[in-house]
Amino acid sequence: MARMRAWTLAGALLPALALVACSSGNAVNKQTSTTAAGGSGKYGYKIAVVTHGAAGDAFWSIVKAGVQKGASDMGDNVSYESDGDPQKQAQLIDAAVNQKVDGLVVSMANPDALKGSIQRAISAGIPVITINSGQDKSKEFGALTHVGSNETLAGTAVGNQLKAAGVKNVVCVIHEAGNVALEQRCAAVKAALGGTTTNLQVDNNNLPAAGSTIKAKLQADKAVDGVVTLGGQVATVAAQAITDAGSPAKLATFDLNADVAKAVQSGKILFAVDQQPYLQGYLPVVMLTLYKANLNVLGGGQPVLTGPTLVTKDNAAQIEKLAAAGTR
Amino acid sequence: MAEDPQTAPLLEIRDVSKMFGSVISLHEISTTVRAGQVTCVLGDNGAGKSTLIKILSGVHQPDHGRLFMDGRPIRLGSPRAALDAGIATVYQDLAMVPLMAVWRNFFLGSEPTKGWGPWRRFDGDEARRVTREEMLDMGIDIRDPEQPVGTLSGGERQSVAIARAVHFGARLLILDEPTSALGVKQAGVVLKYIVQARDRGLGVIFITHNPHHAYPVGDRFLLLKRGRSLGDFAKSEISVAELTRLMAGGAELEQLTHELERVGVEGES
Amino acid sequence: MSGIAVAGDERLARVGLFRRLLVKPELGSLIGAVVIFVLFASLSDVFRSKEGVANWLDPASTLGIMAVAVALLMIGGHFDLSAGVQVATAGITSGILTTYYGMNTWLALAVSLALVLGVGFLNGYLVMRTGLPSFIITLGMFLMLQGLNLGVTKLVTNTVQVNNFDKVSGYGALHAVLASTFTIAGTPFQIAILWWILVTIAGSYLLLKTRFGNWIFAVGGDRSASTNVGVPVRRTTITLFMLTSLAAWFIGNTQIVRLTSIQAQTGIGQELIYIVAAVIGGCLLTGGYGSAIGASLGALIFGMTSQGIVYAGWDADWFKFFLGAMLLLAVLANQFVRRYAETSRR
Repeated sequence: MARMRAWTLAGALLPALALVACSSGNAVNKQTSTTAAGGSGKYGYKIAVVTHGAAGDAFWSIVKAGVQKGASDMGDNVSYESDGDPQKQAQLIDAAVNQKVDGLVVSMANPDALKGSIQRAISAGIPVITINSGQDKSKEFGALTHVGSNETLAGTAVGNQLKAAGVKNVVCVIHEAGNVALEQRCAAVKAALGGTTTNLQVDNNNLPAAGSTIKAKLQADKAVDGVVTLGGQVATVAAQAITDAGSPAKLATFDLNADVAKAVQSGKILFAVDQQPYLQGYLPVVMLTLYKANLNVLGGGQPVLTGPTLVTKDNAAQIEKLAAAGTR
Repeated sequence: MAEDPQTAPLLEIRDVSKMFGSVISLHEISTTVRAGQVTCVLGDNGAGKSTLIKILSGVHQPDHGRLFMDGRPIRLGSPRAALDAGIATVYQDLAMVPLMAVWRNFFLGSEPTKGWGPWRRFDGDEARRVTREEMLDMGIDIRDPEQPVGTLSGGERQSVAIARAVHFGARLLILDEPTSALGVKQAGVVLKYIVQARDRGLGVIFITHNPHHAYPVGDRFLLLKRGRSLGDFAKSEISVAELTRLMAGGAELEQLTHELERVGVEGES
Repeated sequence: MSGIAVAGDERLARVGLFRRLLVKPELGSLIGAVVIFVLFASLSDVFRSKEGVANWLDPASTLGIMAVAVALLMIGGHFDLSAGVQVATAGITSGILTTYYGMNTWLALAVSLALVLGVGFLNGYLVMRTGLPSFIITLGMFLMLQGLNLGVTKLVTNTVQVNNFDKVSGYGALHAVLASTFTIAGTPFQIAILWWILVTIAGSYLLLKTRFGNWIFAVGGDRSASTNVGVPVRRTTITLFMLTSLAAWFIGNTQIVRLTSIQAQTGIGQELIYIVAAVIGGCLLTGGYGSAIGASLGALIFGMTSQGIVYAGWDADWFKFFLGAMLLLAVLANQFVRRYAETSRR
């Protein structure tokens, strides 16, 4: 009997609780404006986007957002698939070819593994645009053009910028072991910097431990005066590690998120290098649509570069809002 | 000990049957157990002995037939219910956890506690003390109550199991083939424990396929063959030779003996 | 009756204090921890400095809290491969409910707790109901939660993370409880270390000094024997899974409070590390044996090793190799010590 009373009481209280529960000022992230105001395109083409990015990756999540906006603006039917394993990625491309898509967008972290599938697509009359990586092989494989940034270009820009800021000894934090793009970035930073660059391995799926590792490195090697991270989420953790270790090291990062933009504003992060992943998703969809409709080709035989662009104190404030929306 | 027909038996099994699907595991089995006496259940493999035990220990329920304790009908719906009724079963695998210490096994499922609320804890000191005492009562000095039960010899493990059952106020002790995996000397020791438990006033059901183990300690004998009862005898009504003959399937054994003699092997007659 | 009772006292003397200590499951991991400490302390003075100690105790503590819970479950005979992603689920739930739906902070924490406890209950219930190995059931749960964590985060936030948790009401109090630091001799230490010590003591007490602890050993050691003597196997198992979820809730919310944000893919891969820490600490993969203190020592070894490699300046590319080698050594040492202790007992 007492039990029944308790349940009815709880049942009566719950709606009241819910009312109270949602009236606090906690909703700081609530989206007030929708960025996805669709275009009125009615092209209706079937396009397949097949990348090598991992599912939860922050960078590729923005690429996907660009793809989806491009699709809605153009009125196209676009699918997005990804797999980090080159063999599996090749199979996804083959599947798209079998479905007789109107266009194909591919990122080539391992170009040779994808060569066969891409050329099969082109022989079947499907135009291909490559994005993000594999710029060197793009033309050779017969793609229309390449949209992306050059990891080496970006890394060089970072190295130069740090050199200008007086940094001589850099730790380059790799958050995904064996990732080709990340390795290229660190290699380019090293080449441009001229001083000492050492790589450090951390686990992206365990950020607090990553912070401890960075802090350990700074404690162990007092000569380090610069830290470069290769992802926005690692940058925020690195900023804290630098403070905790009492190190004077300057911090720069590749790729953006809202926290990074905020930290650039406050000076915790010196600058961020962005390759505008949104464009790497959006533009190829538009370009393929225009090619199918009007035989337009962009680039004049050269790759279409989406970066590197620098985010510094000057433009960080505006970027922050866009980053929070998941488009920058 | 002579049977006293005036008082009701400790346990009476009347026309108990059990089927699993289309397999008749037990068919109209009846026997009794009296306090201070040993009833032996004999039968070869597949006779239905383990099904009978499971029914008596509350794991299964009989499809037909009734059980009576002290003359009153009783339903054993779960192992816990059987334990509460005073029926303690010592399984072939002894229901002991090999990696756990003797004292932990002794009180498993019935741990003594001290304190209350969140501070209610397992009274380890009490458990260790009682375990040692109870074992001493059975005549065994367990070297170290901390040692895992798996490191004890087969006979020692049996003694722990029996001591446990006796301690927790069992009125009826069911022993499932306690001597089957033991050597001659160890088996003898276990038989002595059975007699000890009987002399303390418990009723004992001793399940075995060895009539030479059963006869010395038994007061009553139930023979099972392929789920059916071959007879329920008092000790005065049967000899060990007759018991063996019935178990082995009398006529079949004679025929086998004759065949073996013809081939030139000495048969036992 | 004296056949077995022969020479009781003389045999008791042989099982001396030393041997008794050796048999304890945590001794192997204690020796391993000392060896690893000495190794890295000799290679790097920063490792053994106050700042160094504070640094490697930090990952050890958050790992340790999970390792204790996972160890209890393993002693009970089961695995939980979804433990890592439950950490993310807990933090993401708290974060989204507050910063996107404006829910009251404390209520959001309660909802997040109820959610992961529900996952734990489901894990335990399915394991008991279907009789399938917990490895399989929790593997399925792991994959589902991995997908949910990402899918829901993307759906609500359009990104792969939930951030700005420091803006919610009550953050100050949460930070004080979960993410603040305390100072010893001028060096700040994370408060998670104190929580870790508390959880270890509580876990060990539960395991060794309560009835429930006796049931944990029994259920993991021999399930049918436990059922036959009346141990509540179903209740014990489900409780153990829910304890793991409780720990995941604590760690998940510690993370979002500490970092003010949480990534959707947090925790993937961590579930194996928890198991490794528990095994280093003496837990048998088959269940029925192990130690909460041992699991904490296993976490300590892991923390010291992963940071020690950095302090010692070993090449980063070989990091995983060193880590694996250290862990194998620790487990083998543990195994060796226990075998020696067991044989000497007979």
